[in-house]
Amino acid sequence: MINTLSYVCIGIGLFFWVWGTWPLVGDRSVLFKLHSLSVADTLGSMSIVVGLLLKIPREWPLLLLAIISLAIWNTVLGYVLAYCSSSKETP
Amino acid sequence: MNLILIIMLAILLIPLYEAWQDDNIWQKVLAFSSIASKTSIMILIVSILRDDWMIGVVGVIILSVGNAALMLLAHIIKRLNDL
Amino acid sequence: MIGYLNLILRLTIWFLLTADLSLANIIIGVCVALLIPRGYTSPGALKDWLRTLGEVLVAVPQAYFEAVEIMLRPHRYEDVTRERVKPQRSPGLIFLDIFLITFTPKTIVLKYREEGWYDVHRILRRPRS
Repeated sequence: MINTLSYVCIGIGLFFWVWGTWPLVGDRSVLFKLHSLSVADTLGSMSIVVGLLLKIPREWPLLLLAIISLAIWNTVLGYVLAYCSSSKETP
Repeated sequence: MNLILIIMLAILLIPLYEAWQDDNIWQKVLAFSSIASKTSIMILIVSILRDDWMIGVVGVIILSVGNAALMLLAHIIKRLNDL
Repeated sequence: MIGYLNLILRLTIWFLLTADLSLANIIIGVCVALLIPRGYTSPGALKDWLRTLGEVLVAVPQAYFEAVEIMLRPHRYEDVTRERVKPQRSPGLIFLDIFLITFTPKTIVLKYREEGWYDVHRILRRPRS
């Protein structure tokens, strides 16, 4: 039961990865790609780590730390990239 | 679990291709940031596949000191563009 | 009071990282948390902190909901809007606010302006009229 649930979580995460990474190839602006990357890299990866957490609950402290730092770092990196790449147009 | 890893490697090809084919520096940085977080998740998966938690600890450390280098790089590129 | 929150945050990270609740480790953790220099932070009201931390917890399911929404209905248009910063926010609270806005997939903070505005970039389903 828990095994199935963990595979479902990892599957959702993989789907988010594919969906969010695919627009990278297209010809959109950096900011638009950043939106879809935040779906893929933050939400998708969080769901994958939750799946792993269900698989090996023994290592929960480190995996919890992984989830928290993943959320914070990816979000802040998104903000920094958005700020740095757009500051030329709005001085 | 092997299948998951293969799918992840296939997904990883997308940002690699993007980093190679696009000349705009910000698109490249974006692709590299995507590669960075994807590979660290892959390290966690590999550690579970091989049942070796030492690899997993490395993955968690990479995740938590993480993308600081990319942030510094982004600031440097911005300064260079401003010059 | 905010000092306690800061201390609790450091201790949580320490215990999650070491995963060891023996007495020696607790003593080391408390010492490290007290010894790391803390910058001067202008204390915000405790109520504001608690409410913002609560909003962070709510933001996680909301972010997933928005992700599913932009998958089902493609948002093709982009726009930059301005949002007003709530009055009397300390730097820590502003950081949390920016985190909250950027965490949800539809919106990203572009720039925080000192005069009390965020520039928010968002994606839309139809072009702005």
